[in-house]
Amino acid sequence: MGKIIYTILLVILLPQLFFSQTKITGKITDSSSNPLPGANIYIKGSYDGVTSKEDGSYSFKTSEKGEAIIVASYVGYKTFEKNITLSKGELKLDIVLEEQVTEMNAVVISAGSFEASDEKKGVILRPLDVVTTGSDADLYSALETLPGTQMIGETEGLFVRGGSGAETVTIVDEMVVQKPFFSSVPDIPARGRFSPMLFKGTVFSTGGYSAQYGQALSSALILKSQDLATQTLSSISLMIFGLGGSHTQRWENTSLAFEGAYYNIAPYNKVFKQRTEWDKSPVGIETTLNLRHKLTKTGMLKSFFSYNYSDFSLYMPNLDNLVSKDHIKMRTDNYYLNISYRDVLGEDWSIFGGVSYSNDKDWITPNADNAESKEQLAQGKFTLTKRIIGSSFLTVGSEYQHTVYDDLYNELKSKLTENYVAGFAEADIFFTNDLAARIGLRTEYSRLLDKTNFAPRISVAYRLGSYDQLNFAYGKFYQTPEKDFLIYTQNFDYENADHYIANYQYIGEGKTFRVEVYYKNYDNLVKGTVYTYPYFDLPVVPFSNDGNGYAKGIDVFWRDSRTISNGDYWISYSYLDTKRNFRNYPSMAFPTFATPHTFSIVFKRWFEEITAIIGVTYSHATGRPYFNPNNPEFLGDRSRSFNNLSFNISYVTNVFDNFTVIFFSIDNIPGFNNIYGYRYSSDGKVSSPVLSPAMRSVFLGMFISLSKTNPYQ
Amino acid sequence: MKLILSLIICLLFVNIAQADDTKYFEAMKKQIYNMDSLNTVEDFVDAANAFERIGNAEQNKWLPFYYASLCNTLASFVDTTAILKDAYLDQALKLLAIADSLQPDESEIYALKGMIAQGRLQIDPMNRYMKYGAEMSSNFQKAQQLNPKNPRPDYLIAATTFYTPEQFGGGPKAAKPMLEAAVKKFNEFIPEDELMPIWGKDHAEILLKQIPE
Repeated sequence: MGKIIYTILLVILLPQLFFSQTKITGKITDSSSNPLPGANIYIKGSYDGVTSKEDGSYSFKTSEKGEAIIVASYVGYKTFEKNITLSKGELKLDIVLEEQVTEMNAVVISAGSFEASDEKKGVILRPLDVVTTGSDADLYSALETLPGTQMIGETEGLFVRGGSGAETVTIVDEMVVQKPFFSSVPDIPARGRFSPMLFKGTVFSTGGYSAQYGQALSSALILKSQDLATQTLSSISLMIFGLGGSHTQRWENTSLAFEGAYYNIAPYNKVFKQRTEWDKSPVGIETTLNLRHKLTKTGMLKSFFSYNYSDFSLYMPNLDNLVSKDHIKMRTDNYYLNISYRDVLGEDWSIFGGVSYSNDKDWITPNADNAESKEQLAQGKFTLTKRIIGSSFLTVGSEYQHTVYDDLYNELKSKLTENYVAGFAEADIFFTNDLAARIGLRTEYSRLLDKTNFAPRISVAYRLGSYDQLNFAYGKFYQTPEKDFLIYTQNFDYENADHYIANYQYIGEGKTFRVEVYYKNYDNLVKGTVYTYPYFDLPVVPFSNDGNGYAKGIDVFWRDSRTISNGDYWISYSYLDTKRNFRNYPSMAFPTFATPHTFSIVFKRWFEEITAIIGVTYSHATGRPYFNPNNPEFLGDRSRSFNNLSFNISYVTNVFDNFTVIFFSIDNIPGFNNIYGYRYSSDGKVSSPVLSPAMRSVFLGMFISLSKTNPYQ
Repeated sequence: MKLILSLIICLLFVNIAQADDTKYFEAMKKQIYNMDSLNTVEDFVDAANAFERIGNAEQNKWLPFYYASLCNTLASFVDTTAILKDAYLDQALKLLAIADSLQPDESEIYALKGMIAQGRLQIDPMNRYMKYGAEMSSNFQKAQQLNPKNPRPDYLIAATTFYTPEQFGGGPKAAKPMLEAAVKKFNEFIPEDELMPIWGKDHAEILLKQIPE
């Protein structure tokens, strides 16, 4: 009996008696023999293991025996597994981990572009920067503090690297916006139509942009709208020239936001001296409706609708008859609708589909004449993205645009209909974590021109170290001639431009440095005379595609958000050399919308004591050419240099327990007398400077969230 | 005799069946107690790795991945460089997703999700407030809904309020009643077993002591 129990106990204990441990030691490194501290090394299926030390070495004991698998894992590296045999004694094993190519640690393809996002890492701007830069919380004026853009005070638009404002396209949720700015009259720049708060991500490409977009010779501004609103909230805004209100309702998978505002600049214009002689100061209504619905776990339906109305009139000096003045009246109605759906299908596929419609109608009444201009754009876009090998992916898609222009000048009617189709394929290939390329091809067909084009695009990024990289890009860009020409004849070809870009970029802890050189070659630019103004007396040029030009230069950007505590500043400098012969230019010339040197510095800081963000922006640009009929050299005159110093403060406080932001801004504090150029009478004897509507502009607004101040309670 | 033999064999099998669970329990207990002595980023990474090893070996237990995620979150809080702070939170989120798939609708997991969002927010509050502020509060709320007795979401909300500037409705004064309520909940909280999370009470009490009367 006792014997049996003894035997049984022996059997049970037998393994314990032979229970010997194996000691495993070694070193973990990457493929360049750098030690990897913090890696997890263990025997698969057991608890036995250890974390590698500072020098990559590791050592642990295991009681497992026989055949086993040793695993080494480390974030950003492929998990290592190896079959080993465990027996008594010591086992030495050095492990080399292979870097994993993932979106997280791969090089970012970024030639030519500035990105603002609060989701991605390694971007140059944050969405908040847009609101706290410059003086008017306008997306486009904030972008003018980045290198590559020109400071054009007398008209709206992004003038990029020697390109005109018409060479920049604005894209919202993958689709082109036909009228991104409010309608304007000469010398009075209009604001952007969209509030910067609508967007979660902004990519501003100053050249070499993706094959997914087209019809812009110079630049693309790609905006991604916000997803589901974060919370149910009502707010009121009181501004120096108007008032507004909004309500956002948030359900589990849906959010709906309504916003409305009324503007009347008349009281403001009475208080602050205006140089422009307003007959009726601008009055406007803006409304938006924003719906977001999460259809599936990964699918988001977005719908955005806006309606804007504006009305104003003013007097302009008539240089040919100083006794009388020109009276211009302008009224605008604008409807915009954008519906899109994006979803991820399984592991490897994602889809996007969208439709958009806009209808813009301007009534312009110069003196006794009557002009009406109506533009409608209906479009659809579809893209399909498939992951190929590793992190590499392929995107294919197509878009269709149907544009109708209706113009009326007194009794003279004209109508123009354009049908435009484009298709594109683009591959983002990650060869290693340090080398990636985006290769794309776009093809477009315009019914009006009845011509097809093929535009190859390539962008390469190579990482040098942990924080810096080199980027190269080449691309061919086509643009259909502007409507002003097409109403006369459609016997045109596409205008085109080639971009060559090289850049060096450093994005480290709180510090960013970027220098980019570029060469842009313009060809097939449209020639012809559609307006004589302001180039009176120039010979009438027949319509053709014989124009050409070039732009070359260097853009430098430095941002430091580390050195000054709670503070941040950036410095931009652009050098530009450009000449072109287009429209009714009699010869190659430096165009009126470009200047050799542009500089700006932006500073902002959060002041805890007064709970306010203060931003200061200084901008400087050398003079731009203007047309002087008395100068035998075409565009031989230069205006004086441009200077601006603006200030803004966002003060955070409570009003009756409601979270409130008071925003104040002022531009041109020192009172620089900026002159954008001169206008001349037909005989060239009388001239008048082109000035902004006022020496300074001032803004004061109060934005009240009608909610408990603590969102966590 | 036969009886004794069968009994021993029976006992033996029970023992073998229990041995695995005991081993798990003991290993987890050791690591959880060990967490009090962790200070540096390396300490937390080491602990996270140990929990991850247990999780990988067990495969169907959510707590090891939960604790591995918590250790990565704490490593992020201790680290001083923004890029690494984000990297540890990325890893924390990955591990928490595994825990979430093994134990859906667990209040503790949502409380930690909220804490990870809070970590993201702290790295760049000015720019990240919109996104992560909302993500943080919705996760804390979900954690409260799933288990109203869980003191951790209440404590985390109170601590967030404590560190929020007064102008934004935070500050020690606003946090005081919330911290008191959280401590009361901590005192009433009975964990299901020794491995379930119990952390947070000490810090809540430290914060309370810092508030002047």
